[in-house]
Amino acid sequence: MISVRLPATLQVGTSDTLVFTEPLRTIADLVDALDRRIPGFRDQLDDSVFNFAVNDELLLHHARNRQLSDGDRVEIIPTISGG
Amino acid sequence: MAVRDRVARLVAELPKDPQYPTQGATVFVDLERQEMQRGYTPLKVVRALLAGRGANMFYLHRLLDETLQPLHPDIPLIFGSGVLTGIVPSAARGNATSWSPESGVLMDSNAGDYFPSFIRMNGIDHLVLYGRAAQWTLLHVQNGRIEFRDATPYAGLDNIDLRERIPNDFGGTWTRDLAMVNITRAGENQVMSAAIMGGPKACYARGGPGAKMGSLKLKAILVQGQTRDFETAQPYKGYNRTIAQKLLDTSVVKHALKTMGTPFLYKPSRMLGAMGTKNNQLTTWTDRLDAEHITPYRSGMSGCFRCPVNCRPLNEMNQDAADRYGRGDGPEYVTLGKFGPNIGVDRIEPVIRLNNICNDLGFDTASTGSTIAWAMELYQRGIIDTATTGGIDLTWGNAEAVEELLFLTSRREGFGHVIADGTRAVERGHYPPAALKYRMAVKGLMQSDPHDARILKAFALGLAVATRGMDHLRNRVTLEINARINDDPAFKERLYGSPVSAAPNDYQTKERAVRVCENTYAVGDSVGMCRFTTKLFNSPSLPGLDEFANQVANVTGLQFEAPELNQIGQNVMGVERLINGRLGVGRAHDTLPDRWFDEPVTVGPYAGERIDRGEFDRMLSRFYEISGLDEQGQPEGRWREQLSAVLGA
Repeated sequence: MISVRLPATLQVGTSDTLVFTEPLRTIADLVDALDRRIPGFRDQLDDSVFNFAVNDELLLHHARNRQLSDGDRVEIIPTISGG
Repeated sequence: MAVRDRVARLVAELPKDPQYPTQGATVFVDLERQEMQRGYTPLKVVRALLAGRGANMFYLHRLLDETLQPLHPDIPLIFGSGVLTGIVPSAARGNATSWSPESGVLMDSNAGDYFPSFIRMNGIDHLVLYGRAAQWTLLHVQNGRIEFRDATPYAGLDNIDLRERIPNDFGGTWTRDLAMVNITRAGENQVMSAAIMGGPKACYARGGPGAKMGSLKLKAILVQGQTRDFETAQPYKGYNRTIAQKLLDTSVVKHALKTMGTPFLYKPSRMLGAMGTKNNQLTTWTDRLDAEHITPYRSGMSGCFRCPVNCRPLNEMNQDAADRYGRGDGPEYVTLGKFGPNIGVDRIEPVIRLNNICNDLGFDTASTGSTIAWAMELYQRGIIDTATTGGIDLTWGNAEAVEELLFLTSRREGFGHVIADGTRAVERGHYPPAALKYRMAVKGLMQSDPHDARILKAFALGLAVATRGMDHLRNRVTLEINARINDDPAFKERLYGSPVSAAPNDYQTKERAVRVCENTYAVGDSVGMCRFTTKLFNSPSLPGLDEFANQVANVTGLQFEAPELNQIGQNVMGVERLINGRLGVGRAHDTLPDRWFDEPVTVGPYAGERIDRGEFDRMLSRFYEISGLDEQGQPEGRWREQLSAVLGA
């Protein structure tokens, strides 16, 4: 089982967390699964503002190839620059 | 040569009429003699440096006497608005420029809100202020006329009280027909981290501009009158709609800036292990300060003149009218970081309260928070104790002590006098020399933002070479923190004009990205565009040099291609380096705090990362080479000659 926490602006429905029970090997697989569940989600994610974090580890590159394991907590985090 | 002689010589060279539609005058204000002269920035200067920050550098270069000291009344304080300020959506910015009393190098600080736009609507692009007024003075600007008013009744007022008094005394309404820049008691008392306030929170923060304004006995500049449209060279409103739509369609605006504002960045920074904590001894901190925890207190969003983004979060913690700090404007990410993890505070309520106090007292939260964090580490290490602090317990996280210290600092009382001297505390004998090892500053300026840059090498290089000192807003390659861009080499190459390494902690090729960002941001400042809505800072799809060129042509009739604007950005940096060179700045000052070289990050995916001195030195050399700088970081060869020809005598 892999859980995905979405930012408020990407949430569909009332819950901020989606759960996937099918085997997902990488973040790329997870994006496919998200797009199947929420059609058009892949396009929304194809955006530099969104980063992935796995178990609170922020991924700055090679993100889509990141391996996933059962029980991982994934979060999609908008990232801006501050001031 | 005295400043009046320098001004006289300069004014004699300036055109007496506007050089392009919408150009406002440069007004030279002698506060001591209450005299004024006017001229217009020459076209050759505009073509080389534009207006705003760029032309400010022209005026400072011509009027600076480096044999004096920054707070001498012959050292001018210069306000400048950008070419597009007040005309284009999100272009509401202006710069305040001088010789920094805080750092001892260039002072150049940028702010928005309403003043930079309103002063332009009075036909004034630049204000050059010098001479020490005989008494506290307010400059009143209306219908293009400037009058000297006695500000003695306003002396001693901080930001909240002053902004309540002014509409009662002059009439008018803030944001509709009143705009003001002002100092607080901190500025009056020449506190090194005193800002010039431009609104309830917006301020010219960096380098001690409030102290500089206080040294001239200038309490405020008030602009009064109805807003108006400009007569431009050709129609511009259609393209304004294009720019506004581009802003609103950009995902970072939709998903972050319009909803929560900049505190969004706290979470990724702490997860990365790059959140400056306890004066950067640590690099991660509690999730209790994530932006979502501010949400219960966010009462709305606010913004600058004619900006469709409205990125400024307002706060309300209570409705008790007697608690003047129960509500306010902010906090931004910088303040959240500097008054949260950097001083060991782990609850959001005291951070918001300290933010509201800083806005009232008129502090640059970056320098003030960092200066207090520095003192806390010295206290932790026993380098100072309660005998030094006057009994104040500077234990990490003691928000009550910090609150007390802020008020003492604004009055320069007790240990507040030490904090008020900022990065100069050792030089002025408050701390022993050993304290310098823990001072997180470059070129005498504390770091602007809370991001610990030991991991991202482009961030580190930017902080080292920024002309005003350790500051992320001059050149940060912010998109290095976005995996979507790092994982698309072709896109990244198009963005920066040449290949840039995908690995955030790689030293190679990062100088190229810093060069492009520094140029783009300098142009943004010179046209008056907000950094948050300028391409490369928050997004690759926001307005950049192409859009600036199109709208500068519409507004002024002056034609620039994007590569020419890119060169103008580099020119601005070049003149700033010439000014810094006169102030004794060289290669040795383009560096980083020792802690980042000597101590590795201990948490997160990049544990073990630090700055390697040899790699950094080589990266700096490559940066100089592609920037046309000599071994001391000064413009060289033909480019230097070209800049000298523009700057004149």
